[in-house]
Amino acid sequence: MATATAASSTAREQTLGTLAGTGRLLRFQARRTRVYLTGWFVGLVGMSWLVAASFPELYPSPEDRAEFALTVDTPAMRSMTGPGEYLDAYAASTGAMFAHQMILWTGAIAAVMFILLITRLTRSDEETSRLEVIRSLPVGRRSDLAAALMLAAFAAVALGLLMALAVSGMQGVDAEGALLYGLGFTAIGIVFASVTAVAAQLASYGSSANGLAFGTLGFTVLMGAIGSAQESWPLWLSPVGWAQLTYVFTPEQRWWPLAVAAVVGALLVWLAFALVAKRDFGLGMLPGRPGPSIAAPGLNSIGTLTFRLTRGLLWAGVITMLVLGAAYGSVVGSADDMLSGLSDTQRQLIDQGGGSMAENFSATIAKIDAFFATIFGLLVIGRARKEETGGRGELLASAPVPRSGWPGSYLPAALLVSATATVVGGIGLGLAAAGSVGDWSYFGKLLLASVIQIPAVWVMVALAFACFGWLPRAGWLRWLPWVYTFVVGYYGDLLEVPGRARDVSPFEHAGAYPAQDVEWLSIAVLLVVGAAIAALGLAGVRRRNLHFA
Amino acid sequence: MTSVIHTEKLVKRFGHVTALDGLDLEVAEGQTHGFLGPNGAGKSTAIRVLLGMLRADGGAARLFGADPWSDAAELHRRLAYVPGDVALWPGLSGGETIDVLGRLRGGIDKRKRDELLERFDLDPRKKGRSYSKGNRQKVALVAAFAADVPLLLLDEPTSGLDPLMAAVFNECVREVAAEGKTVLLSSHVMSEVEALCEKVSIIRKGVVVESGTLTEMRHFTRSQIHATLKNPVRGLGDHEGVHDLKADGLDVRFQVDAGALDDVLTQLAVSGVAALTCEPPSLEELFLRYYGDELASRGLDNGNGD
Ligand SMILES: Nc1ncnc2c1ncn2[C@@H]1O[C@H](COP(=O)(O)OP(=O)(O)OP(=O)(O)O)[C@@H](O)[C@H]1O
Ligand SMILES: [Mg+2]
Repeated sequence: MATATAASSTAREQTLGTLAGTGRLLRFQARRTRVYLTGWFVGLVGMSWLVAASFPELYPSPEDRAEFALTVDTPAMRSMTGPGEYLDAYAASTGAMFAHQMILWTGAIAAVMFILLITRLTRSDEETSRLEVIRSLPVGRRSDLAAALMLAAFAAVALGLLMALAVSGMQGVDAEGALLYGLGFTAIGIVFASVTAVAAQLASYGSSANGLAFGTLGFTVLMGAIGSAQESWPLWLSPVGWAQLTYVFTPEQRWWPLAVAAVVGALLVWLAFALVAKRDFGLGMLPGRPGPSIAAPGLNSIGTLTFRLTRGLLWAGVITMLVLGAAYGSVVGSADDMLSGLSDTQRQLIDQGGGSMAENFSATIAKIDAFFATIFGLLVIGRARKEETGGRGELLASAPVPRSGWPGSYLPAALLVSATATVVGGIGLGLAAAGSVGDWSYFGKLLLASVIQIPAVWVMVALAFACFGWLPRAGWLRWLPWVYTFVVGYYGDLLEVPGRARDVSPFEHAGAYPAQDVEWLSIAVLLVVGAAIAALGLAGVRRRNLHFA
Repeated sequence: MTSVIHTEKLVKRFGHVTALDGLDLEVAEGQTHGFLGPNGAGKSTAIRVLLGMLRADGGAARLFGADPWSDAAELHRRLAYVPGDVALWPGLSGGETIDVLGRLRGGIDKRKRDELLERFDLDPRKKGRSYSKGNRQKVALVAAFAADVPLLLLDEPTSGLDPLMAAVFNECVREVAAEGKTVLLSSHVMSEVEALCEKVSIIRKGVVVESGTLTEMRHFTRSQIHATLKNPVRGLGDHEGVHDLKADGLDVRFQVDAGALDDVLTQLAVSGVAALTCEPPSLEELFLRYYGDELASRGLDNGNGD
């Protein structure tokens, strides 16, 4: 009798018992994440739709596309796009060209969406008391993971269908192809959701689970880039690569690489479920390390504390910008060859009014470098808000530091992080460009081209800080100016944005060195404007109430 | 006696919620002052206004005679604060957090810090995110008690502490008080307030409804008397200071107003007393009166309803 009960309880353990309540949890999780999901859907699908709409105009004729294919057919360009098999189909199908250019980046961004979704629903919730409350209800031990993964699966399918819709209607795109294109993103989403589900069992904290999953993403994207550049097997190590390997919209179009994603996803899900029952609630498989019992002597002011708390972001910025800079910089060498392959519209896009094509291109990528470096400054400002509402601010606000010290210290921290990211990006650009052109003067040129963007970057950071000072609750507001300048700067020509609307963006005033001379006067003006906005932000921080959890 | 904390008609609103509605609070130098009131009464809000984290919408607040909003940073040199819900930096160990907070104040007495770590039985090497609630609270307490400051603002400092640690906390507060420091202690633990505080202020819906020493407050309430008499007593029930009289032969139980106590005792003595116990009202009863019963009976609801 006793053995029978034990056996049946083990059986229940392995089957439904630990999954009890999954349905109800799923509904609850879906409600909690609907804003998050909607935001990502709009961003990802909207971006694809915009680009899909602009491609026919950029490359109207098969000849345009065939010429462009020639310029893209270098190892460096392939590493930033995808496998060469798409190139032959450029002329016949705008869709093939679109898929070649878009899958890598859109796929990587979709992966980020699913990584953050899963950690937020599993590991990070465990750190707060939220999941503890849920686990104490009549729900099974595995049900929260099951609900999170099911939600991710639904979201992945929805994303896939929306992506299919976004590309349908392009020249050279049939219904089957569109569906395959979309489901490629479903596959990427599911694989990275399950990667994160495993990471969440290994890591002790949400942040380290994110770190593990992002590390996996970075590594596989790098493998994919190497694979595409060398046209060899490492591409098969990349989940984003599996979507690219469908050769969608080309004559070689095939479905089966998605089966690889399905198998790997299933294996990872199985592993995550096996691990979740083995570990204790709130603890990971990898132990957390203890810290020092005494603070380092340098940790003695609000400035050093802020630096310590944001140095993770600083490192993330340095590494990302170095890789990004190296990737973009390596293309400069082929810029002059590219010239012949460009349509008029494209030439217009890159033309900064003078110099050689390589110099024009250098000015453009230095600006892109600055756009991305700005992100890290804005993330630091976001940290300030998190500190404030996370309750830690209460400890600091009661210390003898003025408001300009805390949370004001996040302004200099953000300026430092964004400037460092810009400079490091410039170094990456410069090194790779000098290498690819075979001319060391490009190192200095690109470094200077990046450095002179710093005042514009600082204006953006100061603006975010001012939003934090005056309208702290509106987190999206801190990002709005960045999105605006990015759209105007990147797609301004395509969307035919009027000049005055463009002049609002500080990046429009940073000059176009090395294509043109450095405009020191407008740089000085940008610095003054930045300082004024920063002062305004500090005034806001001084006069407002602090907020608490 | 100079007052360290002084507020007059202090008002603080959050949108349509009025958290402080004309708060008059007075804490004298060297006093350990209990700050009590039901959930949502406005205790934390008052403390945050005193810390210059929130800007008052009306009235005046003074800390050491200065304005807590405009002179916040200067005033914070002279105080330490323990929030009700301590959040720590996930990546910093407890020891690092204590050191940083101490150094922001211009340095930390290492001997005192280590002694407090020992007394509170706290492992300083754990990372912020791996501390339990009670241990997080202890980190903030060690940082506060290690600071050499004349004023401590403690917002429900013992929430989450086990009884042993609560006793250590009581000891620490007594030591601090003996050094002549001022303490404002917000708390829901009556025994703690009873043991530590010379004066208490009771706040409801953002107003101080009662303030004084515990003896003064007791004065308004009734003691419980249980007496075994030698001879029957007559007319006790007619006395207007006596309530809830229950007589069982020679055994009588009743409540008596503080003002009628000597009268009633004389009357009992006439009959001859075999045994007598007299219980003063517990603080608990005192509070129940201020928090709920009495006000509820006057048609007011509990403080946290809007
Ligand atoms: N940031 C805020 N926004 C809106 N309302 C707030 C805010 N902070 C406090 N309140 C409201 O102000 C009132 C007083 O809150 P407060 O936190 O001061 O109460 P308390 O006396 O500390 O209660 P407790 O004993 O539960 O800690 C409550 O009604 C609360 O809802
Ligand atoms: Mg409170």
